[in-house]
Amino acid sequence: MWSFGLAGLTCGKSVCPRGWDCPRCGQIRVNDKPIPSLAPGRRPAAKWVLLEAVFVVVIGTVFAFAANRVSPRGLALTRNYFPAGTGRLVPAIPAATPPHNAAGTNALPVDPAQLLAAELQAKGLQLADASRVLQLFHDPRFRQDIVVFIDARDEQHYREGHIPGAYEFDPYRPEKYFDAVLPVCKAAEQIVVYCNGGDCDDSETAAILLRDIGIANRKLMVYGGGITEWTTNGLPVEIGGRNSGNVRNTSK
Amino acid sequence: MNTSQTNRHHNALNLSAVLVRWLLGAVFLYTGLSKAVHPVDFLKLVRQYDLVQSFWLLNSIAAALPWFEIFCGLLLLAGVAVRGAALTLILMLTPLTVLVFHRALAIQSALAIPFCMVKFDCGCGTGEVFICHKLLENFLLLLMAGWLLAGHGRQFSLRFDLVKPETDTNKT
Repeated sequence: MWSFGLAGLTCGKSVCPRGWDCPRCGQIRVNDKPIPSLAPGRRPAAKWVLLEAVFVVVIGTVFAFAANRVSPRGLALTRNYFPAGTGRLVPAIPAATPPHNAAGTNALPVDPAQLLAAELQAKGLQLADASRVLQLFHDPRFRQDIVVFIDARDEQHYREGHIPGAYEFDPYRPEKYFDAVLPVCKAAEQIVVYCNGGDCDDSETAAILLRDIGIANRKLMVYGGGITEWTTNGLPVEIGGRNSGNVRNTSK
Repeated sequence: MNTSQTNRHHNALNLSAVLVRWLLGAVFLYTGLSKAVHPVDFLKLVRQYDLVQSFWLLNSIAAALPWFEIFCGLLLLAGVAVRGAALTLILMLTPLTVLVFHRALAIQSALAIPFCMVKFDCGCGTGEVFICHKLLENFLLLLMAGWLLAGHGRQFSLRFDLVKPETDTNKT
């Protein structure tokens, strides 16, 4: 008969440390020579388990940081990925009542687009809606890189489909794209930055990053609807790299 | 219960424990890998909990946690330091579950929906999930880890105990 006690597993007349099966500890008899660490009130395995856990934590932590270091996608520990003014916390508690201005009198607009516009304006950025973006997309200056589209999503999403002619610029790995994007942005008159739309704030982060490295604020616009709205409207996307020629129409 | 029945019962219990060990290891390996492959996405999700203000600490958590899970998953799969790994997972999973629960409560309160209808990406490596499913899943994972912590799942393990308890007997 087996039973579990503080000391561990009891197999007939033998008592085993926790985790031992009966065949393994069958030679230890209760009445022969008690093991000091199995004395009542003590947990024989506890210290070994704790020691093991400490070992796991120490070696695991070293492994984790080493793996992050060698991983091509690893995070740079010393980089602030969310510098002041970039990124936003998705509110766990959306405002139950319309927010008010400082005087507490007039309710601010609660339309998400208006809220986003107000939020961007507070950061010195402009919001571009779908019609404005479409107008710029069809603007002849777009073909001459005077109007520039910047895709602020990661490489995988970019290659799966982006606004035709848009430059890739992942704001979390900017150094990879600066060489291609900076000269174009400096020469451009208008820059439309977009990401997925909705809760995605990578376009905002990218726009602020570009502004911080010297791109004039007045040029920058954030397309709030992002690629989701673009494809929902049945507009074309380009698969693969920029100017790959693989342009597909999305169904409306 | 005769000897043969006892042995069968013993074998079934051992095999179940090994399967639990492998399952737990595979779960942590999978969730760890899914986060490690997209560390920036995980970083953004960790940031949503608004736990730490220091970007260095935030980066460290997001950089290390996925690989740490992978490490623990590999230990369980291989059967090395199993009880230590199980205890570590319990100590890690318990506060994480509490955090997820609190965030779900906040969302529920804000949206005024039934608790089990709350669905969000908790950064657990499985995308958007219903909170009740997530809590149940974590509870089961904790149970499994607890079972391994009690010393089960020894079969097919490379080195179940890193430090052998026999050393105690040798001292006397």
